[in-house]
Amino acid sequence: MEYLASAGMLIGIYIILAASYNLIIGYGGLNTIAHPIFFALGAYTAALLGIGTTLPSVVCVLAGIGVAVVASVALAVTTLRIEGDYLLIASLGFQLGLLQLVNNFEFTGGPAGLSNIPVTITGPGRGWLYLLICAVLAVVVVWLIWRAMAGPFGRAVRAMRDDELACAALGRSLFTMKIVIFAFGCGAAGLAGGLYAYYFQYISPEQFNVAQSATILTMVVLGGIGTTWGPLVGAFVLVALPQAITFMQLPTSLVGPLQGIIFTVLVILFLFLRPYGLVGKREAGVAH
Amino acid sequence: MTDPVILLQILWTGIAMSSYFVLFTVAFALTLKVEKLWNFAQAGLMGIAFYTMFYTLNAAHWPPWLGVTAAVVLTAAVSIAVEVWAIAVLRRRHSSGLIFFIFTLIFSQLVAFVLTLMFGTEPETIFPSVMSPVRIVGGVAVSDWDLQAVGVTLVLLALLYGLIRYTRDGQFMLAVADNDKLAEIYGISAKRAYLLSGIVAAVLICAGIYLYGTRAGVTPDVPIGLTLTAVIATLVGGLGRIFSAAIAAVGLALLQSFSILFIPAKWQALLLYFVLFFALVLFPRGIPVWRIGRPKPLAPMPVTQAGE
Repeated sequence: MEYLASAGMLIGIYIILAASYNLIIGYGGLNTIAHPIFFALGAYTAALLGIGTTLPSVVCVLAGIGVAVVASVALAVTTLRIEGDYLLIASLGFQLGLLQLVNNFEFTGGPAGLSNIPVTITGPGRGWLYLLICAVLAVVVVWLIWRAMAGPFGRAVRAMRDDELACAALGRSLFTMKIVIFAFGCGAAGLAGGLYAYYFQYISPEQFNVAQSATILTMVVLGGIGTTWGPLVGAFVLVALPQAITFMQLPTSLVGPLQGIIFTVLVILFLFLRPYGLVGKREAGVAH
Repeated sequence: MTDPVILLQILWTGIAMSSYFVLFTVAFALTLKVEKLWNFAQAGLMGIAFYTMFYTLNAAHWPPWLGVTAAVVLTAAVSIAVEVWAIAVLRRRHSSGLIFFIFTLIFSQLVAFVLTLMFGTEPETIFPSVMSPVRIVGGVAVSDWDLQAVGVTLVLLALLYGLIRYTRDGQFMLAVADNDKLAEIYGISAKRAYLLSGIVAAVLICAGIYLYGTRAGVTPDVPIGLTLTAVIATLVGGLGRIFSAAIAAVGLALLQSFSILFIPAKWQALLLYFVLFFALVLFPRGIPVWRIGRPKPLAPMPVTQAGE
């Protein structure tokens, strides 16, 4: 049962990550893949404060969100004047550079990571209680994004994505809108990081590398980019299906690579068979 | 003041170590120029090439020339298969750059997972020993590996230059790189140009990973890191300028080598990402210094109309 709770936690965390990333890349059209670094900043901040201070875990997680927001604004201010593939690669450089810092500093635990993150909830119901908290927060994040995108601000963001020049001509401040969606999306990634650190009690730099970028991006695109439900479905399918292999009693050295193979094969199949996503609809004249 | 011999040694070692870096960069820059594709699948090709050589030479005990040939053939075949059955399909669909990015990255991950399953995660080298005989030239240690690496790289770059400059297929590749639709109107096959650039890239990748794998240990995760360094050099060199990217690769390798005089080795990788980030933010089309010396047009270019 604890295993199911862990799998549920992973799904909840990835729903927060995928939905917030969808806000940035799907609704805002900002091609960045640095989302895992904000996930990492949230996780490391919460973990370091949890280990080094007596602050309540909620405050530590909130601090993680704050650090992720500040870092995202720093990235946005320096890079949002470049676009498309260039922004994609610049964000990759930002992510790998910060990860290298995390990897090299001693107080972050270096490549070995942090493993002594304090336990905040104990007892047999720990997993399910965490899952409940995570599920509630995932629902809140998805609801907030849905509300924001259904209103006038959301229409302006989509207009910006579709035609920046026309949107600016209507008097909208594109830069402000970009900063707002970037900060909100990355703050949500920081929240997911805090939850991850407190539940799994172990974090290391390799959990936030390029493979993680590909994973979150894939969840968004395969679920249906720019849709409300797409990232949720993408996160569920791509976390749950590879987990099925753990019931086959295989040696642990085989489980990781086999899960990876299942994940990547699923992605490639979906890319070619459902290029508009599991939830998205084929639109005439739109490239997929 | 640092001893000049030490500086010369760092310079020579940096140049020798930049060899595989140059080959990966040129392979990446060529595909980007001709196919307009950020081809992260090249990391997968590196993995296939390395483990083919590793298996054929260490487990099957083939002679080195046969193992290397097998790696070239297999890598080129996979490159063609990816082009025909995946990239061409996405191109026909007019898929976004994001989809190409996902596909190429995920393909590389798939290859890495399969290789992990087959060979594990222990670092492996192509030959059991990575040591090679060393001679002292003017106080500088020059190993056989250094000479082999520099020689192979120079020969392959010269061949590539000859291909592009003096053969019809090479010039067709450039025509497709400039404007694929216009090239097809003139009867040039864009498909053939894409396949050729993929095969040339596969050969360069095999040579690069051979040099890397005879000097350092390789795990299934290593190729993606090597590809990222190639991306950095390509961006610093300027998009569409293959040989400038090669020079940028040498420059970055030397920057890393000389940085050891000022910063601990563990921070060297950070230097690369620092260069990438600021090169992109400050010079999103490449550092302008590479344009110095380019001949100016003899006559003023015709004025294009607004909106063209």
